[in-house]
Amino acid sequence: MFQLAWKQLKLDRWRTLLTAIALGGVIAVILILEGFEQGQYYQLEQLVLNRKADLIATQSGVNNFIAVRSSIPQFSRAEVESVEGIINAHPITSLPIIYNKNNIRTPVYVLVYDTWGGPSSIIRGKHIKKGNDIVIDISLAKKYNLKVGDKFFVTDFEFKISGFTKEAAFMMPLAFISYDGMLDLFLESEIAPDLSTFPLLSYMLLEIDPAFDRKKIQQQIEARSPFVDVFTPSQIAERDKNMGKTFYAPIIGLLVSVAYIIGMLVVGLIMYSDIRSRIKSFAILKALGFPFTKLFQAVVFQSLFLLLLAIPIGAIFAQSFAIFIHNIFPIYLFQIFSPNVFFQSVFASLIFAFIGAMIPLRSIQRTDPLLAFQGE
Amino acid sequence: MFKWAWKSLFNQPGHLLGSALGIASAFILVIFFDSVWRGESVQVVAYPDNMKPDIWVMQSGVGNMHMAMSFIWDWKAKKIEKIEGVKKVTPILYTSSIITVNNKEMFAFIVGLLPGTQRAGPWEMSAGRQIENPGEVLIPDVLSKIGNINIGDSLQIIDQTFTVTGLTKGTFSSANTVLFVPFSNLDKILSSSGTYSYLLVDTEESIDAKKLAKKIKNDVAKVNALTHKEFIANDLSMAKQMGVEIIVMMTIICSVLAALIVAFTSYSLIMRKRKELAIIKALGVNNRTVLYSVTAQSIIVTLSGFILATAFAIFVIPTLPQFIPQLTLLVSIDAIIQLGLIALIVSIAGALIPAYMVLRVDPATAFHV
Repeated sequence: MFQLAWKQLKLDRWRTLLTAIALGGVIAVILILEGFEQGQYYQLEQLVLNRKADLIATQSGVNNFIAVRSSIPQFSRAEVESVEGIINAHPITSLPIIYNKNNIRTPVYVLVYDTWGGPSSIIRGKHIKKGNDIVIDISLAKKYNLKVGDKFFVTDFEFKISGFTKEAAFMMPLAFISYDGMLDLFLESEIAPDLSTFPLLSYMLLEIDPAFDRKKIQQQIEARSPFVDVFTPSQIAERDKNMGKTFYAPIIGLLVSVAYIIGMLVVGLIMYSDIRSRIKSFAILKALGFPFTKLFQAVVFQSLFLLLLAIPIGAIFAQSFAIFIHNIFPIYLFQIFSPNVFFQSVFASLIFAFIGAMIPLRSIQRTDPLLAFQGE
Repeated sequence: MFKWAWKSLFNQPGHLLGSALGIASAFILVIFFDSVWRGESVQVVAYPDNMKPDIWVMQSGVGNMHMAMSFIWDWKAKKIEKIEGVKKVTPILYTSSIITVNNKEMFAFIVGLLPGTQRAGPWEMSAGRQIENPGEVLIPDVLSKIGNINIGDSLQIIDQTFTVTGLTKGTFSSANTVLFVPFSNLDKILSSSGTYSYLLVDTEESIDAKKLAKKIKNDVAKVNALTHKEFIANDLSMAKQMGVEIIVMMTIICSVLAALIVAFTSYSLIMRKRKELAIIKALGVNNRTVLYSVTAQSIIVTLSGFILATAFAIFVIPTLPQFIPQLTLLVSIDAIIQLGLIALIVSIAGALIPAYMVLRVDPATAFHV
């Protein structure tokens, strides 16, 4: 039956290729959707992990890095730094802004840093050197056709783009400025009279002496300073990822379910049309005494072979598409080959192909062996 | 010839139905994605759209509400109140934050209301009562359902715990869930004493809101004032820009997929009818007519899929939020018409490979024994 299924596929190579491409298309849709979701989670995690802190201090009650306002009193920094084992508490502030140019508005997550927490890499240009320098995510540069050295206005304050980075999260590009830049922005721009409400210290990136135990330091800081909570970067990253899941999972989950149904229908359609065209062959096999289970096996093997051909095609489609989209719109990251996405999708596709292969079984069951002895 | 195309398709209704379902599913994916995007975009402006003040006043440099941050001194509200033509000024505090509901973290927008300012509060309640005391919160009824949180239960915003006193209607979306809390509580969370975020300005009758907004901008230092229409347009355009690329790319992928299914269906049909086609050709029917009939078949299959997808969009998609309440879906006729045009292209693209096969059919094969 294994051989029968294989030979059947080899008989009409055009058809097999077309079928594998169609199935590959379905697998690509599933991989793209799942890859998009994973890409979003990855970006959320990296936003925290890229700050390269040993521990992170937040405002008491704040457990996330994105989509939340954290404001720590300035004096808490001295309290934290007085804990034995802390080498430095590097300040960082987050400032969500809406960038507006030519009436096109984009929410941008601005990170204000001093010594730690700046852009994880500079893909073009240079790091911040002066107060009015800004490093922006490449997606923002592409969207507004901005170049290194161009002006970048936040309200009416003029920054100068010193470099591009590749950091975005929650479908928002990131931008980095220094504390000098933030103070200039607050003092020189129109928002100056109201700056007292803006947090000047959102988080502290803690640099720990490796000889000290992180857990103990965590406890000591929380005991000494009631205004801060302390987490490991991976704890915050996990919380940000979970918050992202509540946002993305219901929508993407439903879309993926629809994609699986398409896959099942395509397999069913292929097998149905194939069996209808070979109904006489099945009648002959039945007349020769092949039991229904054997014929069933042949159909299942055939659909699985098709799927095995379709998986690499789908993976190539999906990855090519992901690269293409990421190049045009760098804000969207796809994690197609993330092991849990890829293997989960392949496994689910196998199940759906198996279910799809069931669709035409009734036709085989109803085939009369006498058909084998009828003429054309 | 067209009769042949029609008959050969409907000879195998199961095959036609399977193909139509496959194509319909690909189109449904596109419509669904579009509905989510449109639904969320509209829901993003649900709060400001339902407030409908004549003018919105905010910090200079800010021009919208979604994901924005605005702070203006409280004395500016008093100054605006005294401007001729201004009937009423309702201040609100506003921020985005993460809320914790039964240990689950969610993104939400929080509006702080001063006592007696129902003007800026929820426009429809589905249960419970308005905020009366500090530490109380009004949440969307959908959040109550999905978060398993009811009146009397508590939720956390940053480090403060709130008790749910009422459920609001029309205030939930995945991207823009709106909660209402007392001004004093949000003021404490934001450490924003002496400031407001936005001012909702109602004008006297027969006042030109655009002119008055300009006057407010001129008379009050460092504020931005926009008419309600301008403010909503800004928010809506930003919401629609976010994710539009995903909609485009999903439309492309699913259209290619639909074209592949059409190609497969037409190809299978032609391969089965090779002999019939050879006879038709041997009888003197030219290639062009045969090609037209193949394209017609392809259009019929695609059209069937498109009709099924449209029926699904009109009758099923609007009912989905009953089962998945966190979805805000808006089916757009424009999107369906666009998809119809894409379907036409898809049907022609799907006919290309079968057309090539038809051209290769040798009329002599009609006489093979």
